[in-house]
Amino acid sequence: MLDLIIRNITNRKVRSALTICGIALGIFAVIVMGAMSENFHQTFERSMSVTSDKIRVFAESGVFGGGLTDNKVSDVLRVAGVKDAYGLLMTTFDEDKMGMTGKQILGVPPEKSSVALYPVELKAGRYLNPGDSYHVVVGNNIKREYELQVGSKFEIHDKYFTVVGILDYTGSIFDNAVIIPLKTAQDLYNVGDSVSYIFAVPDERVDAEMLSKRIELSVKGTSTLSPGELEVQARQSFMIFSVITISSGLLAAIIGGLCVMNTMLMSVAERTREFGILKAMGAETRDILLLTLGEASCMGLFGGVLGILVGVGSVFIMNTWLAKTRIVLFLITPRLLVIAMLFALLIGALSGLYPAYRASKMSPMEALKHA
Amino acid sequence: MPEEQEIILKIENLSRTYTQGKIPVHALRCACISVRKGELLAIMGPSGSGKSTLLALVGTLEKASGGTAVLDGTDLTKVPEKLLPRVRREKIGFVFQHYNLIPTLSALENVELAMRFSGVPKKERKQRAKVLLEELGLGERLDHKPTELSGGEQQRVSIARALANNPALILADEPTGEVDSKTRDSIIRIFKELSTKGQTIIVVTHDPEVAKECTRVLRITDGMIKD
Repeated sequence: MLDLIIRNITNRKVRSALTICGIALGIFAVIVMGAMSENFHQTFERSMSVTSDKIRVFAESGVFGGGLTDNKVSDVLRVAGVKDAYGLLMTTFDEDKMGMTGKQILGVPPEKSSVALYPVELKAGRYLNPGDSYHVVVGNNIKREYELQVGSKFEIHDKYFTVVGILDYTGSIFDNAVIIPLKTAQDLYNVGDSVSYIFAVPDERVDAEMLSKRIELSVKGTSTLSPGELEVQARQSFMIFSVITISSGLLAAIIGGLCVMNTMLMSVAERTREFGILKAMGAETRDILLLTLGEASCMGLFGGVLGILVGVGSVFIMNTWLAKTRIVLFLITPRLLVIAMLFALLIGALSGLYPAYRASKMSPMEALKHA
Repeated sequence: MPEEQEIILKIENLSRTYTQGKIPVHALRCACISVRKGELLAIMGPSGSGKSTLLALVGTLEKASGGTAVLDGTDLTKVPEKLLPRVRREKIGFVFQHYNLIPTLSALENVELAMRFSGVPKKERKQRAKVLLEELGLGERLDHKPTELSGGEQQRVSIARALANNPALILADEPTGEVDSKTRDSIIRIFKELSTKGQTIIVVTHDPEVAKECTRVLRITDGMIKD
């Protein structure tokens, strides 16, 4: 039967090719959008895994509202159940690019740098030490982009810093981090003793959610984000992003599916007489269904394979091109490939269902009379 | 051999009525025919007389309104809808006026196709299709598509296809309607040879030249059969 299906497809070359291209375009969109979503998903999961044990303490007015200073750290530390606390100053590295490159400056107390970055490990060099000022630890992407090594000079905000450590690749936000001593960062950006937020590390025996509430109540002018709340918030944002990206890809694929349905309906209408002949020759309803549905599914399969190949190729090219600017935007995962392929097959089969039903239900006599 | 055993098709009171708007149209009225094995039977009549309806009913392409049609021991009017394709595969071969070959398939593949649905293994059906086409003088045209064949050749492919599953009955609807007199004669010759070998054939025709070569002629007018 497969030979007949392939023959029917190849016999109408231009039409079949256009239909397959329609599906391929849809699957291409699924792959590209899906790869973007997968990349964000991976970054999100890894970022969560390296920061999920800490409570974030903000000024009531928010991260950018100001009002949170170093002296609040001691207030937070006084709350029962807080094992450790330290302030961080976070700002964008490329101010002129509005932070679009994702690179961030993290001002961290030098003595807390290893704790703040835990469990990210060093690839080379060391963490910041007390007494460091114009010293910097850089994430792996920063190291690659600026071709840095331990001992290199690195310019931040018109000042030269000495690279003392390079972080291992994590696939998280830390790959794009530039970590400098907190005091140096505060001086460099002229923010006095302000910090963006305070990391509070809960004691092992303390429930982080409860402690988070306790800090909020004990330290005036602050609001907190517990690891659980952070995860919920982050997941919601991630979900919205995923829905937008994936649904735009799916929409394109559904349009591809309508292409198949249109082609199959035309094909069934044109071959009405042929179906009559087949029925007169003793073809079963399932034979006709198999022929029509098989044809649609095969077009889905070919379109899927083509879409995946072009999609993966394009993602590879875009990632290679973006690598120069250090942005990693796409990630192809086996899960994405399987979903895209199944979706292509499903669209092909579903689109062929109605035409196949019509073909199989034709009266052989009526079909034979068809001109 | 007793005479009853030689009857391959027995039609009794077979009728077909359909409605056109609200008016009932009697396409076939109480047809009674007995056809013996190996008979070459011609059915003649004017257009719209019910010839093709009779063929469609015997070929199970349409449902009878009443009566019975027993082919090779099977009452075709009692066969459930689901089993009709099997009956068509195993007992009936069709030859159409317009050949009705699948345009995308070669002569060999068209003949093979009939056996495909019967589940005949590929090698066997290829071999049988080849033998049939060679017997009908198309040994050199096996790989030709219908558009590359003449009308007569296409009709011979269609006859080979009808014979593919060794049917009890071949139903030919105006098989010479589209061909010249020389080709018509060759088709009649093929039918006669097949009939001599024991193949039962019913031919619907307008052509008296075809009818006179058949072993028996039935005339049908306004849905009524006259022997």
